[in-house]
Amino acid sequence: MTGHDFPDALKQLLDEFSRSGIRELHIRKSDFELYLSSDASAARPRAAMTVVAPVSASPTQPAATPKPIAAPIAPISSLPDDAVIINAPNLGTFYRAPKPGAANYVEVGSKVQAGDELCLIEVMKLFTAVRAGTSGTVHAVLVEDGAMVEGGQPLFALVRD
Amino acid sequence: MPIKRLFVANRGEIALRIVGAAQALNIETVVAVSDADRDSAAARLADRSIVLGPAAAAKSYLDPRLIVHAAKESGCDGLHPGYGFLSERAILPRLCAQHGIAFVGPEPDVIDALGDKLRARAMAGAAGVPLVPGSECVASAADARREGDRIGYPVLLKASAGGGGRGMVIANNGDEAEAGFHKASAEAVAAFGDGTLFMERFVPEARHVEVQLMGDGKGQVLHFGERDCSVQRRYQKLIEEAPCAAMPDHLRRQLHESAVALAASVNYRNAGTAEFLFDVQRQEFYFIEVNARIQVEHPVSEAITGFDLVQEQIRIAGGADLSVSQQDVKISGHAIECRINAEDAARDFLPSPGRITRWEPPQGPGIRLDSHMSAGAMIPPFYDSMVGKLIVHGSDRADAIARLADAIDNFVVEGVPTTLPLHRAIIAHPDFIENRIHTRWLEQVLLPDYGKKAA
Repeated sequence: MTGHDFPDALKQLLDEFSRSGIRELHIRKSDFELYLSSDASAARPRAAMTVVAPVSASPTQPAATPKPIAAPIAPISSLPDDAVIINAPNLGTFYRAPKPGAANYVEVGSKVQAGDELCLIEVMKLFTAVRAGTSGTVHAVLVEDGAMVEGGQPLFALVRD
Repeated sequence: MPIKRLFVANRGEIALRIVGAAQALNIETVVAVSDADRDSAAARLADRSIVLGPAAAAKSYLDPRLIVHAAKESGCDGLHPGYGFLSERAILPRLCAQHGIAFVGPEPDVIDALGDKLRARAMAGAAGVPLVPGSECVASAADARREGDRIGYPVLLKASAGGGGRGMVIANNGDEAEAGFHKASAEAVAAFGDGTLFMERFVPEARHVEVQLMGDGKGQVLHFGERDCSVQRRYQKLIEEAPCAAMPDHLRRQLHESAVALAASVNYRNAGTAEFLFDVQRQEFYFIEVNARIQVEHPVSEAITGFDLVQEQIRIAGGADLSVSQQDVKISGHAIECRINAEDAARDFLPSPGRITRWEPPQGPGIRLDSHMSAGAMIPPFYDSMVGKLIVHGSDRADAIARLADAIDNFVVEGVPTTLPLHRAIIAHPDFIENRIHTRWLEQVLLPDYGKKAA
């Protein structure tokens, strides 16, 4: 959803949106789409989806061993200047495949179109797809499959074609 | 089983307060933050902080699934909800229970029951707690006079379908009750299509008093004295005191007994507060509601009892028994708290987020500051405007007021306007000093003059 080439403009927009009292804002422009809603239960037009829980999730796991927050696999500083970073929209568990045993949505080198699914973020069995905001090639996958990611954490680096 | 790692599902000063309490008990802490609070004081003090999501509370602090997911994945076995946000939403303890996390608060069913005003009122009545005297439906003007005579004037005639003050009339005697019946009923028909009325005693000058409770969930409930929170603006408390100096001892005992009886009747677990309206003229108190959480103003009760309520909350959630008995709870001196909000009182209390450039709080015996602020700290625009709570403890009420005046005079804040100057004006007012205030005093007496001086 966010490319690192316009974070200031986006942050400004978010601030304005939060202050304005506007309930919904939907912008679509060539390879860019942004949907803001102040209502958490609002159905997002494209970005959200729900799928069946993967079998790997055990329902009543006692709190014992914390999952470390995923450390980036590749240092962000080593990425090309024109790389577009795809960040996690919120905290959750990062899944690279639609279900256990299935092929990953993307691998390094995959060509993606704007709007293509890249991964799932799971919160309490609710799975939300993260989509590419631009077309390009997957340059790096920055998080291990199954790791917990924080809100705003970098997940993928894409290079525009 | 004692909690080993506590998840703090809140922000601001209360998140910092909870982290401090957990550390005193040698419990690890994980603080949930939104993107706007990454660098908060609580996040820095905790063993670990986790970014839930964007600044908007609906996508971070108000999402129970996100919070319990984060608590579980970070290996926490306890969760403290603080106040506000999800603290009184039963879904949070329900999700915690499903995932083996101890919730620092009451049972979800108790939260649900107390959150429903009518159910809470029925529970209070069943426990023998005084309720505002009132009537069933009144069908005629003659009925209204009879009920008014029975309840005692002044009375409020209210539309049972009502709201927003429409179909509401105050009557000071039997004639006004009869006339008021016709007026209120006609208004109610016009506004709601239903002229059914009921009556309730009207208390023109009430104080807000509340009792701090702590239960073990097995039927034992202790009280930690009462608080007087009568300085309010639009039902928001600004100043809280403990004890309620305007209440005689025999009523105070009844108040405590009522509150404890109500909480014990539902085997209340953890911290809660029973709120009452105190009619000073009649020397009677009536039940309002129970808040099923720790409250903003808990430090004044801690000051006069010397007891750490948040630590006790965490211990009880970990399965411990109450660490003291009622006779160990001794009240000493008088405490006053003022809520410091980043608001401009001269501009109708406009919230004023921004960066604090100077923050030099007062220090000294009997002074406590609960705040997450410091010089250079940012007050984000997304949440409430409270930046801290200044609490003083003195030998009696006059001593506490004098200490508070000194403390405010020595408190330097720059960068954003705060309510500190208003607090200074309140505590210098003869009505406050002589303790003649009520819940509408600030709006009716002080603020009109205060506005003139500011303009």
